[in-house]
Amino acid sequence: MTSQAQGRLFDLEGTLRDRLRPEPVEAEAVRRIARGALRRLQQIERIRDGFVVDASERGVVAVRRGRRAEAAGAAARRFSERGREELHEYLDGQRSFFDVPVDLSPLATFQRRVLEGAMRVPFGETTSYSALAARIGRPGAARAVGSALGRNPVPFIVPCHRVLRGDHSLGGYAFGLPMKSDLLELERSTSVLEGCTSTHILCRVGCHALARSRPDHRVTFASVEDARSVGYRPCRLCRPDAA
Amino acid sequence: MMPREDSDRTLMRRLKRGDERALTGLVLRHSGRMLAVASRLLGSRADAEDAVQRAFIRCHTHAKDYRPEWSVTTWLYRILTNACVDEIRRRRARPEEPLAPVAPAGRAGPGPETRVDLERALAKVPTEARALLTLRYVEGLSYDELARIRGISVNTVKSQLKRGKEILRAALTERPRSMREGGR
Repeated sequence: MTSQAQGRLFDLEGTLRDRLRPEPVEAEAVRRIARGALRRLQQIERIRDGFVVDASERGVVAVRRGRRAEAAGAAARRFSERGREELHEYLDGQRSFFDVPVDLSPLATFQRRVLEGAMRVPFGETTSYSALAARIGRPGAARAVGSALGRNPVPFIVPCHRVLRGDHSLGGYAFGLPMKSDLLELERSTSVLEGCTSTHILCRVGCHALARSRPDHRVTFASVEDARSVGYRPCRLCRPDAA
Repeated sequence: MMPREDSDRTLMRRLKRGDERALTGLVLRHSGRMLAVASRLLGSRADAEDAVQRAFIRCHTHAKDYRPEWSVTTWLYRILTNACVDEIRRRRARPEEPLAPVAPAGRAGPGPETRVDLERALAKVPTEARALLTLRYVEGLSYDELARIRGISVNTVKSQLKRGKEILRAALTERPRSMREGGR
């Protein structure tokens, strides 16, 4: 029999209905989901604690807990304000990338290279101290990389929380390990690519064009190609196709 | 007795006001069916539970965005599909993980081999069509509901389903032995 003939005889509709029929779900799984959701909601509350953003005329120089310092100069004030907005959106699960420039120029060369390396770890991903050391051309300097990250003055925006030990344990974090794991969980729960259902434009989450659309007009996509396949086109502002 | 949809909407209204017990109510009522969709779409029970949990968290944090013009079920499926599709994106970013891990069959009925065949075949279907096929055949949703959930036109829903089924048919009929054992 030819495969075409087999294809005609094969009852795909029946197979799909039969094999995809939902199976009963045990009550314990439902309870696990309810408990887990409430626990994660508490984590979300925990990471929204007040942070302040300091900036120079070149970009953000520090993210810290404490009182706001008055930024000197109009450019510094603008960067500080933009950094604060982006940070709030990020912690709210409304942003998957930072646009505000970071000013690492006051730092020593090695630390700057480590932090620049950390900035290349994509949103929602992790790497290890030793892989980051190798990436900046200093294989074997994992410990020094760890201590440079520990002194990261611009946490969140320079995502030192995405760097873990080689065995996937958390390593260290200036704001404590629960915060580090909450941030990794936050990034796992935040979509990266969203399309607007009325304009059919695909954006990176955090793009201003997307922020203007109604929240219930947004759908998540797994890739630019997937979005294109159903008639969405990439935004010209945030360029998800170039990211 | 209050109609089901009305009482779903009541839960959403309570959730909007910040009542966390309403979230538990929605989980108890909907998570079973959502878990069925997510398991089929992601091919992994653990990832599915995670996705359903995320969907409910988002339902809570975005409750203020809920509009009564949405049926609560459609709204929840939109959020759930978004969570599953994002999980698929993450897996692609880590290619060492298989795209659709094969779940153990573990129940009476069709033999494990045909089940595995269908899951393998589904893994060959592009994400958008796979999401639509899953919602259509696990939950029996209409073309209109599918269009609303994925933010596309009914025509696109139909063409995606057609394409998805062509790929499935080709993948499943490539294996005549399994077809004889499981197909009807």
